[in-house]
Amino acid sequence: MTNVLLLSMFFIKTSEAQSYTNLGDVQTDERAFYTMTKQMSQFMSRFNYEEDQYGTKISPESPDYRDRMKRKTVLPLLFDMDNPRTNGSLRDFFIADLTEKDANYFEFLGGKWYSEVSATFKMNGEKVDISMIFTIEQENLGSKWVLTNVYFSDFSKLFPKGDIAEQQKHFLHPMSHELDFMNIYKIFKTPESIEYYASNTYSPDYLSIFFYEVKCGNLVFEKVNSEKFHVFQIDNWYFEVSWFNREGLNTGWLISNLVFLKDDEKEELLKFYQPNINK
Amino acid sequence: MKLRIKNFILVTILAFVTIGGTTSCGSKKKLAKKEYEAKVAQAKADLNAIIEGTTEWTLEEQKARVEEIEKSDLQNQEIDALIVKAKEVLARELAEAERAAEEERLRKIEEENRAKAESKTSISDYFAIIAAAPDAETANEKINEALNLFASPDVPVLIIVYQMGDIIDFDAPTTAEKYLNYIKDQKSVTVRVNNVKYDDNDKITELELIKK
Amino acid sequence: MKKIFLTLLFGVFLLGNTQAQELSHERKQAVDSLALEKVRDLSKYIKIIGSKETPWSEANRVIDRAEELFAPDAEIGVSSLTTNEVQYYKVRQYLERLMRLNYDRVEIDWYKIEYVSDLQRQPDGTYVGVITVFQTFKGFDKEGRLVYQDTTKKDITVYVKRKETQIGGRLIGFWDVMLGDMRVKETSIK
Repeated sequence: MTNVLLLSMFFIKTSEAQSYTNLGDVQTDERAFYTMTKQMSQFMSRFNYEEDQYGTKISPESPDYRDRMKRKTVLPLLFDMDNPRTNGSLRDFFIADLTEKDANYFEFLGGKWYSEVSATFKMNGEKVDISMIFTIEQENLGSKWVLTNVYFSDFSKLFPKGDIAEQQKHFLHPMSHELDFMNIYKIFKTPESIEYYASNTYSPDYLSIFFYEVKCGNLVFEKVNSEKFHVFQIDNWYFEVSWFNREGLNTGWLISNLVFLKDDEKEELLKFYQPNINK
Repeated sequence: MKLRIKNFILVTILAFVTIGGTTSCGSKKKLAKKEYEAKVAQAKADLNAIIEGTTEWTLEEQKARVEEIEKSDLQNQEIDALIVKAKEVLARELAEAERAAEEERLRKIEEENRAKAESKTSISDYFAIIAAAPDAETANEKINEALNLFASPDVPVLIIVYQMGDIIDFDAPTTAEKYLNYIKDQKSVTVRVNNVKYDDNDKITELELIKK
Repeated sequence: MKKIFLTLLFGVFLLGNTQAQELSHERKQAVDSLALEKVRDLSKYIKIIGSKETPWSEANRVIDRAEELFAPDAEIGVSSLTTNEVQYYKVRQYLERLMRLNYDRVEIDWYKIEYVSDLQRQPDGTYVGVITVFQTFKGFDKEGRLVYQDTTKKDITVYVKRKETQIGGRLIGFWDVMLGDMRVKETSIK
């Protein structure tokens, strides 16, 4: 509640001071639209303090650009206030870390941030939900969103993390070659365990399976349901940004999840979003 | 002019008198002397008029008269002195006339430009009138009127959106007709006229605007 | 004259890849304003098209002009609060639908808030941005009763390309601004 009050105080000023000419002719309380983080682009600008409270871009030459103290006052507005994880001490620790030095900015071309697009497909006539993971990749003069992975429960089920003891039972002995691999048929008798016969470094490539199913016509795209963002750019932290379409002053693109994550743990998690990140 | 005719008549009468009176040697001499004195008197009068600026002859005529007097070599010191003076006066006046003519030429050009500039204002006026038109019908009428200022409805309209040193950024080029309709639809004018090019019929062939 | 002008327009060529350069903050702002102006133009056109007082011929002409603001393959994706199903429309289809809406009177208003994203470049060098605006729509019946209303957030893609053309023997460098896909989402904020 205090937060909402603070927010509203911050933006009352905004609303009154808005003076540039625009197309608007609606005479109502527009605070909600000002406070709303309307685009991911605005999220980044607010996160880094690259725009002032009126939404005007600050010139990189200006002393206000990325001003640490001002950034500190704007950052709390970027969190979902209905979630204890993003509206308590953890958030304050995060903000303290962010503003401790002139660093930890969220950069569009900085890598390690992903868009998760939840979509409905039809698989052999039945509706299924698949999440596609995208990242920004630089190419020639600019950049583009590229697919890095998909999450589809049917695909994951195909490759369960089996019991290690069970896994270790499955192998082709090292002299199999001398017998023209006459034992190989056994692999195919238990297709559910076939990946145990692969190298220890093997990991399933869901994206290839996805492409295969789409190419074969088994998976047909229907619609996008939602999108959210996963950001790994900030040292020792991971956060999610989701869209909040609701009444009040705490709306738009907001941090919906925040995790303190040491960088080595982060590397593990990153493998899901971008399996080929280190290649 | 009148004075010139008078002078001419005088010279002619003198000539007749001279021709008509050649009866005897003595009278001849007398006449020659009279003729000479008349010439000297006339030359003095003319030169003084030129020097004092009281003649109505044109500069060319004055110049011709001075040359004529000089050629007739009247052997009169006073006249020689007057010739020098008259020449000085004429040189000064010619120089003045040349400058005045140049001034006049420039003034005319400027006036023409002003006239054109006034028609430029009227484009701006049309912009304002069209933007403020109460309905589409009135606006369309005004657009048709405004189009008369242009060589054709397809005359290019260029809009400067950014200018810094030698970098000039324009909006995508449009045409007179499209731009006037644009003002009608938007009901506002966000530009001012920066430069206008005209053809020989004083019709606009290119309109350059700049964002206010 | 028409022919000459058309030739000039078709004579437009894109700046080569080598001329890619960072724009100054001020120049970027000028591009932002230009892009925003196209969106404002669109919003005015939408008002004219939606208004029941606009003569049919005028509305059709304005639809043409509004359509010209968009890239040829641009689409409009519309969703409401009750369903997150996105309805896709071609630009012309969307505008004609707006013209034919079955209300006696329509009020379309725009909030005084606009947001322009940073321009990012796509691989071919074209700048891409998104401009967000908010609109309220009210539909009234014959008796003047409000029968439908919504507030929508419109996120409009803007493509900005640097081009050059010869006009009157002069090389003109201009920003070609084209609107792209537009996402129209109903918002809970009224």
